[in-house]
Amino acid sequence: MSKIKYIQNLMETKQISCVELTEKYLNSIEKQNAVLNAYVNVTGLEALKTAKAVDEKIAQGQKLMPLEGIPMSLKDNISTKNIETTCCSKMLKGYYPIFDATVWEILKKQNSVLLGKTNMDEFAMGSSCETSCFGVTLNPVNTEYVAGGSSGGAAASVAGNMAVFGLGSDTGGSIRQPAGFCGLVGFKPTYGTVSRYGVVAYASSLDQVGSITDSVEDASIVYDSLSVYDPKDSTSVGSKISTRDKLNNSIKGLKIGIADEFFEGIQEDIKKSIQDAIKVYEESGAEIIHFEMPKLKTILPVYFIISCAEASSNLGRFDGIRYGYKTNSYRDINEMICKTRSEGFGKEVKRRIMLGTYVLSSGYYDAYYKKAQNLRGSIIQDFKNIFEKCDVILTPSVPVTAFRKGEALRDPIETYMMDICTVPVNIAGLPAVSVPCGFDKGNMPVGMQIIGNSFEDYKVLNAAYQYEMKTKASDKEVLL
Amino acid sequence: MISKEEVLKIAKLAKLSAEDGEIEQLTLDMSKIIEYADTINASAEDEIVEFDNINSIENAFNEDIVLESYDRDEILKNREGGENGYFVVRKSLRG
Repeated sequence: MSKIKYIQNLMETKQISCVELTEKYLNSIEKQNAVLNAYVNVTGLEALKTAKAVDEKIAQGQKLMPLEGIPMSLKDNISTKNIETTCCSKMLKGYYPIFDATVWEILKKQNSVLLGKTNMDEFAMGSSCETSCFGVTLNPVNTEYVAGGSSGGAAASVAGNMAVFGLGSDTGGSIRQPAGFCGLVGFKPTYGTVSRYGVVAYASSLDQVGSITDSVEDASIVYDSLSVYDPKDSTSVGSKISTRDKLNNSIKGLKIGIADEFFEGIQEDIKKSIQDAIKVYEESGAEIIHFEMPKLKTILPVYFIISCAEASSNLGRFDGIRYGYKTNSYRDINEMICKTRSEGFGKEVKRRIMLGTYVLSSGYYDAYYKKAQNLRGSIIQDFKNIFEKCDVILTPSVPVTAFRKGEALRDPIETYMMDICTVPVNIAGLPAVSVPCGFDKGNMPVGMQIIGNSFEDYKVLNAAYQYEMKTKASDKEVLL
Repeated sequence: MISKEEVLKIAKLAKLSAEDGEIEQLTLDMSKIIEYADTINASAEDEIVEFDNINSIENAFNEDIVLESYDRDEILKNREGGENGYFVVRKSLRG
């Protein structure tokens, strides 16, 4: 069920005003945020101002735009004019952008109600929000577990009924993993369909903005609003296809690809949930096609080399001169930049900058960066071949369910391995959605990932929606 | 295995300074991760396909039109207003 449609209907039929609705969400944040730590900045006054404008529009009998009056959250790496944007790093504390990210500009024009900025791993580097300078975000399903990352705050804001939808960014699984951990729908669109302008860059050729929602239909409504060509983003392509119009397409004859490699080392109860989901698809008339993905294990180091290389370049801009943190004592400009960066960045960010600098440095460039880029080409080719035989690919979203606090920080390689199912999607620029598909023995949510061919976001959302309708996976309580 | 000296050289290139206590751990972590990254070199050369960009897009050029830019004072707000309309850094040349 679409929460967005349901809420808009209540507002348009005057069963609730937008101000009342916004107040309910702000109260929910006030009650829960001290424990969950989903928001790092709550923008209550601005939210109520927008809500009042929406109510005036309703009073005049005007029709609402698709996301008008909907209380929502933005990840703290999405630039918001005159609203602090920190990327949850000491480096950007106190930084107030002088422009809006295009995605926020679109939502602002639609009078979406911004409740606040959500917690994330520092500069989106992490998978549990534990590298955030504001501390970890806990999982609303069970607070003994983390909400995931890097868009953990966005997921917790939706799972904890503190926002109707949240925007996040996904470089290697940062939307799909927390959505999976919190039992939500996390959608990473095709690279280039949603503008990255104003989203603080981690790895530009992999980063993509997407949504975390309660239902597939909501993901589709948000995507249809955001997927427009943006001249400010040189990699922007946009999309003219309405995914919402295609949600009800029959999936009879849909070819679903499955590769054993995606299931190696996966938690047993996750495997079981995915197998049950496959049965649901078979009963709906979909055809299961088995294929091989021998390069899967290579994709992770390729991803790591490319993402760190791009991060080391992108994060070179933080020098303490124009904005952000600046060290107190220094003798010359070189020392100022070095000290600023060493004091301003956290451990994980520094580690990735160092690794990126290493793989780009003279003598190592060909062996690491160039080789990884060429392998990326062959991985993209492999996916093209697979999509000649299949419409979508089905995998687990994450090999495990939510971690307990502290677990993700133990061993860097083991933690990076947790992204094995999600990173191939970013490497090839594909669309993918994580949808809830059951629970593990400890009652924590399991996520299933549906991957599609480039620019076939509608097929991914259609397949997810049909599963959701059959299993009622998204029927959740609406905060009213 | 990456050496401590290499870590220090990379830190200098990345404009980061590693504290004495941090270097040992950083060297260990980096060695482990680089060893993992090395696994890509086991892939056969014939698997290589030139890669340029994801959607095979070409350079996008804007029309050469002068548009309004940001206000200087607004830009300097994130540096406490700057000084006389400029960002301030300590002089880098001595003499």
